[in-house]
Amino acid sequence: MKTSSGRFPKWASAYFLLTMVVMAIGFYEAMTAPKEATMGNLYRVFFYHFPHTILSFVFPYLNCAAAMLYLLWRNKNPERAAKADAFAVASAELTVLYASVGLATGMLWGRAAWGIWWAWDARLTTYLLLWLLYVSYVLLRRFSATGQTAAVSAVLAIFAAIDIPICFESIRWWRTQHPAPVFGGGADSGIDPTMVSAVLWNVAAWLMWGIFILGLRYAVERRLQRKAAAASAALMSEYTLEAR
Amino acid sequence: MIPFHTLSERHLVYAYCVVWLLQFGYGIWLAVQWRKSRA
Repeated sequence: MKTSSGRFPKWASAYFLLTMVVMAIGFYEAMTAPKEATMGNLYRVFFYHFPHTILSFVFPYLNCAAAMLYLLWRNKNPERAAKADAFAVASAELTVLYASVGLATGMLWGRAAWGIWWAWDARLTTYLLLWLLYVSYVLLRRFSATGQTAAVSAVLAIFAAIDIPICFESIRWWRTQHPAPVFGGGADSGIDPTMVSAVLWNVAAWLMWGIFILGLRYAVERRLQRKAAAASAALMSEYTLEAR
Repeated sequence: MIPFHTLSERHLVYAYCVVWLLQFGYGIWLAVQWRKSRA
């Protein structure tokens, strides 16, 4: 997405259309999967809650890796560092988006299944912390004007990533309100084979959508960086002329 | 045909609404930013 004309490149449009098709199949699969024995139709929230939550554990690692690369390159190679910083911004916003959907769908499911919106159990608390950490990252990027924003937020991104494995493993380490892992959670875990295709289609759909959004947000951030650099260069040349 | 009768649980409908609103709302906002940020 390097064009600056405001139009999407053809391959990005084709990818977007493919994503929409996969998303539509995912929706159809979620609607037509067999009814669950105890929860009935309510369990269909899982087909959206699971992909968003799992992907909200993946994007923060991209954010952390990009933040590390930014700190590594910022003095040696400013152009590469700027790209890493743009990628870090994009992946942090995507984390907030996916974690917001994960939180909201989880709360709606909890209200209907348990009768409560929220419980301060290990998974929910660490997940709320994850969401707050990345919201604070996004707010820092938006409102800080120190000139060191990228470096400060890169350090925050590295510290924030510490919560991810704790949150991911919390349902294995502590048995509290949140159910045990559906996949890879031991002998009693797993879902009925007739429901697996709905899970896979929706994971694929939201992963593809996430990649599209990540690329688009990265492209927007790179444009904003170029604009800021051009404005800064214009200002510098103005000062130089005035000094003469 | 999509079996809409499987939307019998209102919390499931709310969950679908949250997903579509947040994801496509952000997507539309991003598309606007893309247009606005062109050189």
